[in-house]
Amino acid sequence: MIEERKELKTRVGVIEFGSDDVLNFPDGLLGFPDQKRFVLVQHKENSPFRWLLSIDDTNLAFLVVDPAEYVTDYAPPMPKRASDALRLDHTTPMLVYTIVTIPSGHPEDMTLNLAGPVVVNCEAGLGRQIVLDDEAYPVRHRAFAQSGEGKAA
Amino acid sequence: MLVLTRKVNQSIMIGEGVEVVVLDVRGEQVRLGIKAPDDVKVHRKEIFEAIKTSNEDAASVDPSDIPT
Repeated sequence: MIEERKELKTRVGVIEFGSDDVLNFPDGLLGFPDQKRFVLVQHKENSPFRWLLSIDDTNLAFLVVDPAEYVTDYAPPMPKRASDALRLDHTTPMLVYTIVTIPSGHPEDMTLNLAGPVVVNCEAGLGRQIVLDDEAYPVRHRAFAQSGEGKAA
Repeated sequence: MLVLTRKVNQSIMIGEGVEVVVLDVRGEQVRLGIKAPDDVKVHRKEIFEAIKTSNEDAASVDPSDIPT
């Protein structure tokens, strides 16, 4: 069977994807409950950044990254409600991404949302934004130390 | 907004599937229990609003701002 491939012009560039690449988010994302179909594309070759792109709204694109790139020991417990919705058991391969915010023109102020990770069940093509209500997981975790101290990218 | 007054151990039903019960009241703090089906998300409003706002900001990240 020939997989149907589609080309889409998005706000971050032209992408090509097949029906197998589509991730279904039955609950959308917080604030975007009607956006239920996304694809994940790499930002650039060798880049840890990915774009989570809505295929129904070509202006909607979220930058995401594997939290392990910037945070050590990020392994939040998965609420049962979420693992049930994603049909995950303890052996199902899953991807965990955090949504990235970068104030315009200030990459040094990049933050990761550790309270609302995006979890994907790769086999089922299902995704969900999990809500973690715990002080240990801030909504805006700085990727880089405040300017003047520590390391930059 | 519907306003109801409850005493400790009294409940409110929201639709047929969601129940909110007042567990105890201590000074300014009210402890609530919520029974809801798995497909209904229940969270403190602040966290919900914070993630929603963060998502909205994230949706306008410019590719040129991404560190290489």
